[in-house]
Amino acid sequence: MLLIKLSLRNLLRQKRRNILLGSAMAIGVCILVVANSFSHGISDIMFNKVMNYVTGHVAIRFNERGGVMREIFRDRARVFAAVKNEPLIESADEAVGMFARAIGNGRSDNIILVGVDTRKGLSEKGRKEVEESFRLIEGTWKDMESPAIENPVIISEEKARYLNVKKNDIVRVRFRNMFGQDQAERLTIAGIMKNDNIFMQPVVFLELSREKKMLGYRSYETGSLKLKIKDPQKNAFAVADRIHEKLRPGTAVIYASAAGRSGRRPAILLGFKSDDQSKKQIAGLLKLSSGSFEKTFRKDGVIVPAGLARELGVTAGSEMTVRYDRKFEKTPREAVLHVSAVCAAGDYPGRDVILLSDSGFYDLYYFDLPAGPGPGAEAYSAAAAGAWSGLVAPEWVLLKRTFNTEDYTKKYQEIARNKWKGTTIDVSTMYETASDILKLESVLNIITISAVLVLFFIILLGVVNTLRMTIRERTREIGTVRAIGMQRSDVRDMFILETFFLTLFSSAAGSLLGFIAMRLLSLITFHPQDNPLGMLLVNGHLYFLPTFPGIAGSVLLIIAIAVVTAWFPARRAANLSPAQALGHFS
Amino acid sequence: MNIIEIRDLKKDYPLGDTIVPALRGVDLTVAAGDFMSIIGPSGSGKTTLLNVIGCIDLATAGSVKVGGREITALDDRQITDIRLNKIGFIFQTFNLIPVLDVIENVEFPLLLMKRPAAEARRRADKLIEEVGLKEYAAHRPSELSGGQRQRVAIARALVTNPDIILADEPTANLDSVTGASILELMRRMNEIEKTTFIFSTHDANVLKYARRIVRIKDGLIEKEPVAA
Repeated sequence: MLLIKLSLRNLLRQKRRNILLGSAMAIGVCILVVANSFSHGISDIMFNKVMNYVTGHVAIRFNERGGVMREIFRDRARVFAAVKNEPLIESADEAVGMFARAIGNGRSDNIILVGVDTRKGLSEKGRKEVEESFRLIEGTWKDMESPAIENPVIISEEKARYLNVKKNDIVRVRFRNMFGQDQAERLTIAGIMKNDNIFMQPVVFLELSREKKMLGYRSYETGSLKLKIKDPQKNAFAVADRIHEKLRPGTAVIYASAAGRSGRRPAILLGFKSDDQSKKQIAGLLKLSSGSFEKTFRKDGVIVPAGLARELGVTAGSEMTVRYDRKFEKTPREAVLHVSAVCAAGDYPGRDVILLSDSGFYDLYYFDLPAGPGPGAEAYSAAAAGAWSGLVAPEWVLLKRTFNTEDYTKKYQEIARNKWKGTTIDVSTMYETASDILKLESVLNIITISAVLVLFFIILLGVVNTLRMTIRERTREIGTVRAIGMQRSDVRDMFILETFFLTLFSSAAGSLLGFIAMRLLSLITFHPQDNPLGMLLVNGHLYFLPTFPGIAGSVLLIIAIAVVTAWFPARRAANLSPAQALGHFS
Repeated sequence: MNIIEIRDLKKDYPLGDTIVPALRGVDLTVAAGDFMSIIGPSGSGKTTLLNVIGCIDLATAGSVKVGGREITALDDRQITDIRLNKIGFIFQTFNLIPVLDVIENVEFPLLLMKRPAAEARRRADKLIEEVGLKEYAAHRPSELSGGQRQRVAIARALVTNPDIILADEPTANLDSVTGASILELMRRMNEIEKTTFIFSTHDANVLKYARRIVRIKDGLIEKEPVAA
């Protein structure tokens, strides 16, 4: 208490000097608070607006048969189940989009047609975010759902201007659907939006179900999923890892009945892997009674065990029919299979198992996903099939997690090389898919930090010099208090406390100044379309997001640096011998 | 009973490449409750001797016992504790703390001793009254005359009930009337509080107040002791 009183009174002793130094510190803190809030604002825009709408914080992507353009997963509900109970996920949305060529009134341009699930309903926070990011200047979001309008879309003001279209005009679009077929559609301009984000200017919004239909998706299929995560910088990797774990595939099984000349029997259809290594292992495990491995390993290769072949009345070269219940359709699926080989002996994965080459198997499996084993029936376990557990086709291929863009790019190059037969599933974060955009944030942060460090250096020189001057002026006083009986540590603490209080008061004033500066700066209006940094604006204004930890952190940082800087001259003052200090002016 | 026992005390100061001896083998004993003056010309070693006795400077050689305790072997923290608990100082230039008012200056050593604030305030009040500055308790040192400042310094030196009060030229910065009143006060305090007073001076007028006079010249006790 005594030291605090002394420190505070000493602060007031050199008013002019301390006010000057305090003002410099306050300006430093003010810049730090503004820079910190601006940086947080950029992060907020990046992570909660740009990233959220461009790739999501975490994305689950599907590529059927490893085809990069064929983004489809046949069991939408299954993948939603994998993200359902994850508490850090704020929202999970289907991301279905396509590039298209739009022809307006006398002009054409490329657009990105993005599906929006308007029926899903939004939280108050979500609604506010959408309204902030995409301000409708004509039309309403509800118009997108209107059955009376032909393919209603909402287009950006810039794109509408370029295409020379206005509300209720028709725009024709050419695009390629999911199966690679060129298609054309008519879109009606139902609304025009203004947005500050340059990434969003080519985007045209269409109701999700309409977009999916145009692209060839069935209602239970999806293209990809984008997830919005709470505190994405902190949680994105962990959430992605957990979802990745939940998406580990089981064995792809079709519970069917097979029919040949002699009758119909229940059968289990499995795919076998057709890569060279697997083929070699399979050839070692099986002993064929008819047919050949050469035919078996072709795309339409089918192996039937000898017992089942006898019961069905089929041999190598003959046909048989398989029928199975479909998961999402009421009527069963029937297919004709050509028996390539009959297996007489060896290690076979099951008595009722018909093996199909994975390529042919997935054609059947993915196009019409099979229903489960049915009530009372036992599920097939590949794990029990010994050596076959690694040779049968999985439900899908779960790609390994990557953590940066370089590895992510390599992963997709590998997909193209490997020619996967199954659907690949990739769980990625924005750090892999949009690192270039995120780099902008890092660069801005580095620039801010560098400027602040230079400023700090100047301020700290001021602290050291002021303190040295103060100590020199008060040397005899130091001698007096030491002679009276003040310990060295108390003398040191007294000077440190003085610096602490000076910094604390300056920081409080600087923070207040920072808030005033932010308020004034956010009143300035910019025109985002003419400004390359338009994406950093919200409604044409600079966006600051002051946070308590950010400001407290800045204040603590400057106090810590000032105290550490004050430590050395304060310690030197404390170490003066009382006699030497008392004799200073003598 | 001797409160101070000094044997063969030497103190050298380095001055560039040479060593300047300030004390060259001082032997001195001081009885408890004494009112003693150290006199000598400038540069004779008076202040150095007081500084060593007051534990604010270290001896180069010899033995110094304060209150029976050898101080030459103590570390800084122990020596500081002795200064706080056993010794009071009165300086030629008063050396009050300018940011504290009179009462706060006086209670300052008690607060360093971690005495309760109320108790410290009571004791300081009493001493301020004794030195005749009751109405100036809330004044800052800059608002007081030289004599008043020295009275505050005396009160501050006495506040901890020290065994010894050391005063280095206590009247050098005062006019003769004020100086005399300060010495009167010190003498009175010596009688009331039974505290040992040792003060240095080169003013012959001051000597009449001392019960014992020690003369020092060229770092040696010249004539010892001379009865007052």
